[in-house]
Amino acid sequence: MPELAFLLAIPLAGAGVVALLPKGRQAWVRGTTLTASLLTMGAAVWVALGFDPSESGLQFYGRLSGNERMGSDFVLGVDGLSLPLVLLAVLLNGLAVLASAKVVEHRKGYAAAMLCLESAVLGVFLAQDWSVFYIFWELTLLPVFFLINHWGGEHRGRAALNFMLYTMGGSVFMLVGLLYAFDVSGTHSFSMVELAVGLRETSPETQFLILMGFLIGFGVKMPIFPLHGWQPLAYVEAPTPVTMLLSGILSKMGFYGLLRAAVMLPEAMVAVQGFLATVALINIIYGGILAWRQSDLKVMLAYSSFSHTGVILLGIAAMNSAGLTGAVVQMVAHGLVAAILFLLLGLLAERGRSREVGHYGGLVGRTPRFAFFVTLAFLGAVGVPGTAGFVAELHTLIGAFQRWGWAALLLSVGMLIGAAYSWRTIGRLFTGPPLPGMGVIPDLERGELVPVVVLAGGVVGLGFFPMPLLSLIETSVGHLTALLGGLPG
Amino acid sequence: MVAVLIGLVPLLPLLVALGIGIDRFLWGDRGEAGEGVMARSAQAAAGGSLLLLLFLDLVALGEGAFPGQVMLFPWLESGSFRLAVSFTLDRLSLPMATLVAVVGFLTVRFSVNYMHREGGFARFFAVLSLFLGAMFLLVLAGNPGLMFVGWELAGVASYLLIGYAVERTTAVRNATVALVTNRFGDAGFLIGLLLAQRWALPLEWSELVAGAGELDNLHVGVMTGGFLVAALAKSAQLPFAAWIPRALEGPTPSSAVFYGSLMVHAGVYFLLRLEPLLLTTPILMVFLSLVGLLTIVHGAMVGLVQTDVKSAFIFSIQAQVGLMFLACGVGWFELAFWHMLAHAAWRAYPFLSAPSYMHLVQGRARPVPAWLAPSLALYALAVRRSWLDALGEMLILRPAHALARDLQTFDEWGIDRVVGHTQGGGSPSSLGEWESLSLSGHAPDSPEVAWGRGMLGRALQRLAVGCNWFEERLLLRSGREGFDRFLLRLGHYLELTDRLLAMPRYLLLLVIMTFVFLL
Repeated sequence: MPELAFLLAIPLAGAGVVALLPKGRQAWVRGTTLTASLLTMGAAVWVALGFDPSESGLQFYGRLSGNERMGSDFVLGVDGLSLPLVLLAVLLNGLAVLASAKVVEHRKGYAAAMLCLESAVLGVFLAQDWSVFYIFWELTLLPVFFLINHWGGEHRGRAALNFMLYTMGGSVFMLVGLLYAFDVSGTHSFSMVELAVGLRETSPETQFLILMGFLIGFGVKMPIFPLHGWQPLAYVEAPTPVTMLLSGILSKMGFYGLLRAAVMLPEAMVAVQGFLATVALINIIYGGILAWRQSDLKVMLAYSSFSHTGVILLGIAAMNSAGLTGAVVQMVAHGLVAAILFLLLGLLAERGRSREVGHYGGLVGRTPRFAFFVTLAFLGAVGVPGTAGFVAELHTLIGAFQRWGWAALLLSVGMLIGAAYSWRTIGRLFTGPPLPGMGVIPDLERGELVPVVVLAGGVVGLGFFPMPLLSLIETSVGHLTALLGGLPG
Repeated sequence: MVAVLIGLVPLLPLLVALGIGIDRFLWGDRGEAGEGVMARSAQAAAGGSLLLLLFLDLVALGEGAFPGQVMLFPWLESGSFRLAVSFTLDRLSLPMATLVAVVGFLTVRFSVNYMHREGGFARFFAVLSLFLGAMFLLVLAGNPGLMFVGWELAGVASYLLIGYAVERTTAVRNATVALVTNRFGDAGFLIGLLLAQRWALPLEWSELVAGAGELDNLHVGVMTGGFLVAALAKSAQLPFAAWIPRALEGPTPSSAVFYGSLMVHAGVYFLLRLEPLLLTTPILMVFLSLVGLLTIVHGAMVGLVQTDVKSAFIFSIQAQVGLMFLACGVGWFELAFWHMLAHAAWRAYPFLSAPSYMHLVQGRARPVPAWLAPSLALYALAVRRSWLDALGEMLILRPAHALARDLQTFDEWGIDRVVGHTQGGGSPSSLGEWESLSLSGHAPDSPEVAWGRGMLGRALQRLAVGCNWFEERLLLRSGREGFDRFLLRLGHYLELTDRLLAMPRYLLLLVIMTFVFLL
């Protein structure tokens, strides 16, 4: 417990220190932010080292009694499902802070917002009480809203408004579902474990209603079709480091929440299995087609991210060992790939002062480092063997195949469309003649290489050595499979 | 201990090749300033491998016994198929590897001065180090699977250095010819490997021989025949003899080490490895002798009429290697072994000094011998290099062209209609093409990137348009149109209802209506 409390407190303390720093001390602000991120990373590694992957229950469990009358306590803990996401969150947040060197105006506010966001995201993954979960869930909104609305691009106002309205709208349904669950369970507690025990007695219809509430709330965040209206605009208008976080880790909160809800409502989950798979396949193909249509690099990435998160949902919907493993691995893999792609193409667009793919050409001769890493990242996105995406997609495909047979091949159609726009983008950007009017585009600088190399190393490293990650999640996935698999599908 | 040391031998040059690549990637072309560190690291790797091998030799001498099969770690395992990273250190591989190291180290040292201020200095040393690592793998590998890795890497290195002068069309074309010819041999190697796997033979050399003893002779013969084709192609024996004179386009040090000294003997080395298998299939031995004999005649005859130093060398080398094949064919494997070592050790020197031969050798070139000159047929045979090029063109190139043409027709009329033709589809390849495209109105930088070709492509395009239309409806718009207006209008209606309800008569009406519904 104290370790987990540190994880939440360090970024918050960092934000507090940043807010108190005197004006005009840009270097101090950056130093404090980086230190806080590094310390958080250290705390996360400390937790990971002390974690025993062979145990299926919660570890580092701790409980502070809170509101007796409401039955809500401050409960924290990690298991094999949340620990990979905690590690991903601290890694991406650190790299996003590192990549924020170009943000100059109102640096204090920016740094404080980033650190608050980190704390809130970690709270979502660590909370073991639905009321605490919900509070942290809502807390992530505020920093993101300000980050988009203040430091975003041309249409930032519209993007922030859309983001806020969609997410709040979803949260209302989630809150209603949560209160209803609290009401019918009869355990008078919001604790995830106790609520799950209480809800097991209720009728499938009740469970279904509660799950629908959760699904709308989580579905906006993931996002799933057709609740994704906010996503392309927000991803495009947010500053690059924030987009890294939005696509890399914030979208994973929805899938993580769904996994937690699945433990609580197994019968309803099994009942909506086919529906979830349909939505997932629509996500994959619909997002792929739209990504294929875009000429704007960032919009294309937004839709491609939308398409790839469908793989996670498909894995969850399969509800067998291979599918759930694929889903968790894809969360990590997509987190890394989306972050590196948004980072690289964001940097490129800043240099070329255009996000249009047709604006560029023949960059391989001028910017070999960009060419190498962008190609590597797209290979990772397509899921070429030797990248983390392959491990995830193969598991998901096997899981879906075991569940639905040949229909799972629709996943491959989505992958094919993904390969089409990935190759087209690489071809347009890097091959052919350097276009006139492109201006001078400098290659990646030494400092910018750090986050890029770390992310690329993660993509390739997990592709070649997936065992540490797989063994980390194995027990928890086995636990979940036993819970869901015992029911008639 | 031995396992770690022997693993380092191929690893050192391979790491240097990788390192030069990374260096180039991170810091770009540093010109002359970068030469020193590259040359030093390449020399250090070659020298380090040499020292390691000498140490292993000394240990083997001291103990009076070879370490034999050294297992590092399992590489691939699937069902009954097992492939390990293992090395064989016996009386065949250890001397050969040491020789590779000596020649390799000397050639690297020689090249430092020879390649000074050449444009592709980094490329040359990277590929030369890659080749050395590949040769070590090839010679030391404990199973044909790992040997194939070295075999292929050596082939790739050879291709890259033949085409060293990328701006010359001949160099590039000759590199392609060499690569393609070698692919025939690789196909044979793969067939041998696949058959061994199909018949569930263990792949380690010693176990392979033992396992093959339990198969009947025909099976062993077919498998060994596959390997034999690979050996013939790599050592440029007769049906495949035409590629090696073309391979001399590369820089002299690489020619010396590839075709003068080391790689050309890889085929002979492979035969020596396969000795027990060959001995069980006499028909292959006869075939070997025949090929060897024909190559000797070919090499000797053609060599007589060559007028440049390198070509004269290469044909005499071919004849010598033919002699080794002949020796293997008649069963004198021991003789072939010593011949190979002696020839490899000696050949590097004259080849390296070939560029200065004009200064070293005074006087005119030797004329065509008297017995050859009068016979028109023999002379033509020698000058036209046994018509091997023409034969290859007739037997392989033209049929392949014809087949390719037929397939292209099928593509254009069948497949392209459905999936869209791929030619000229992506980005323009030159500025001229780009300009003509923009002039004709198909500007490639137009915002419309999503145009599909063929039936599938157009279907995707239509679908994308539809999806996009739906997508635009999802976004909440602020400002005059969209969501704000909807809210305003809603507010307006609510306000109106409110105002109406404030009037007593409508309130009364509402109360009455409520009662009507209730009753």
